[in-house]
Amino acid sequence: MRSVVAVLIADHNEFGRTEIEVLSAGVRLAEDLGGTLTAVLLGEPPASFAPNCFSYGANRVAVAEGPVLSAYQPIAFSAAIEQVIRTIGGDVLLFPSTTSGLELAPLSGHKLGASVVMDAVGVDGKVDGGGIRIHKPVFGGKAQSLLIARKVPIVVALRMRSIAPVARQENTPGEIIKVPVTVTSPAGTWRLVDRNVEQSEGLRLEDARIVVSGGRGLGGKENFACLEELSRVLGAALGASRAAVDLGWVPSTWQIGQTGKKIAPDLYLAVGISGASQHMVGIAGAKHIVAINKDDKAPIFQMAELGVIEDYREFIPKLIEAVKKRKTSATTL
Amino acid sequence: MHLVVCLKQILDPEIPSSDFKLDTQARGPAEGIASFVPSIFDENALEVALQVREAAGAGKITAISIGPDSAIDALRKALSMRADEAILIRQGEFPDLDTYGTARILASAIRKLEPADLILCGRESGDWYGGQVAAFLAAEFNYPYTALVAAVSRQEREWHFRRQSDDGWETIACSVPAVVSVTNDDHNLPRIPKVRDNMIAFRKTIPAWTAKDLGLEPQSTRGPNAELELEKLYIPQVSRQCRIIAGDNVDQKAEQLAQQLADLHAI
Repeated sequence: MRSVVAVLIADHNEFGRTEIEVLSAGVRLAEDLGGTLTAVLLGEPPASFAPNCFSYGANRVAVAEGPVLSAYQPIAFSAAIEQVIRTIGGDVLLFPSTTSGLELAPLSGHKLGASVVMDAVGVDGKVDGGGIRIHKPVFGGKAQSLLIARKVPIVVALRMRSIAPVARQENTPGEIIKVPVTVTSPAGTWRLVDRNVEQSEGLRLEDARIVVSGGRGLGGKENFACLEELSRVLGAALGASRAAVDLGWVPSTWQIGQTGKKIAPDLYLAVGISGASQHMVGIAGAKHIVAINKDDKAPIFQMAELGVIEDYREFIPKLIEAVKKRKTSATTL
Repeated sequence: MHLVVCLKQILDPEIPSSDFKLDTQARGPAEGIASFVPSIFDENALEVALQVREAAGAGKITAISIGPDSAIDALRKALSMRADEAILIRQGEFPDLDTYGTARILASAIRKLEPADLILCGRESGDWYGGQVAAFLAAEFNYPYTALVAAVSRQEREWHFRRQSDDGWETIACSVPAVVSVTNDDHNLPRIPKVRDNMIAFRKTIPAWTAKDLGLEPQSTRGPNAELELEKLYIPQVSRQCRIIAGDNVDQKAEQLAQQLADLHAI
């Protein structure tokens, strides 16, 4: 069990946090196992992808090349991954939990006859008798499981924003190999016909340093307006709990939690959010959590670092004022 | 048009953390801490199927579940939401059932039905978050697979799937038949069954199929995930101490919090 593979798909995306996390998990695991890390690239990655992979610990980059890889297609791409792995080898395959990762991890795992674990938050190779350990929260984050896989191949999809990035190394050498892919398009058709990039107030939730988020406690769609103002003042992105999404108050792209976005901002301000465990899963990586809720028994206070027990309707306008005042005085100084 | 929805019955995931306990061997949740419900995304999947049938004005929906006898309640719920048929597959006969086995058994059952135009599963179960059965079903049938679908429409000879992408939404055109995993969205909230439909659902027969009915040897369904060992299952201890902002009135508290945010270099 020596060969760790990070499977990265370039599908409209640049090299970013997602790729860094998969490589970071991979390089640490390869170290534990005394093995190597190979980044397998599919799609049409920009030229910067391979050098970036080396900077984050890949020993080797394998670029899959073939006509079937010109446009993303789940079944064709999973067949391509199978072919690449059968050609260059691979014991542990790591995928990000992106939309394509959620398709390709199980599809290619099935083709390879692999043990497959989705939604993992960590992997390590410190297992007596050999094998890898997979860390995976279950039951809405109420319990944590540790799974041991001893038989290869193993496929693991990593939860986004759950892996601490390794330090970037400049000018790291590495070997780039090209792997021809000869699989053909599968039966049936599958094509992208429309693509809509939705952003809340121009700032991506996943990239924001500060996130302001609202829940059922806001009581209505129109009440998100005061959070919008607060987020403008703070330069924050806006999010919401599943309850607010299910009630139709905000688009589901705002949803933070087990099944929404997983975020790791420096500061998370939860307003009118009770703190159901499935929500807390989405902010496990947040550095500082501030909860504003009028119910002092809300479970969110067990997870927050700072709490304000007040009705947000009165508190948020005051907070906006106080923050504005500080900002102006800071500029005049 | 035939739509097949796969449902799993799980422990109610909405119970508060304080009520959540593990069994004495710590292999799973303790018995009796909460009731059983259909897994949330599976209900979203059924809702999507119901909307497709409504838009088409015709069609048949079959709900299938592998589980213990109690899973009949999840299927009954599906019938009261107005699925046309429901089938239970008895899990007890299949030892060490993993995601590979689940998909193989479901596929055997679906092959006994009239050909499916669309197979829908929730994106993952709300207990162990397997997140694989839908993809494995696509592999079993060699059908196209699309994850995180929130809405489905039929456009002539193709399906159109509106699905969540990493930064928004995509529309995928896909040939028929196909398999999808469904995620929640404000447009696919599971409907509340009508009283009349509840009564009709209670009078319907739900067949329980066995390994023999499906022509399966129970051991043949064992897949590579049965090799995974559960080393440990535990309830993480939260040790964070929350500091409640004090103050005589709202203004003071707001001022205090702003100060704290400045100290954290947030403003």
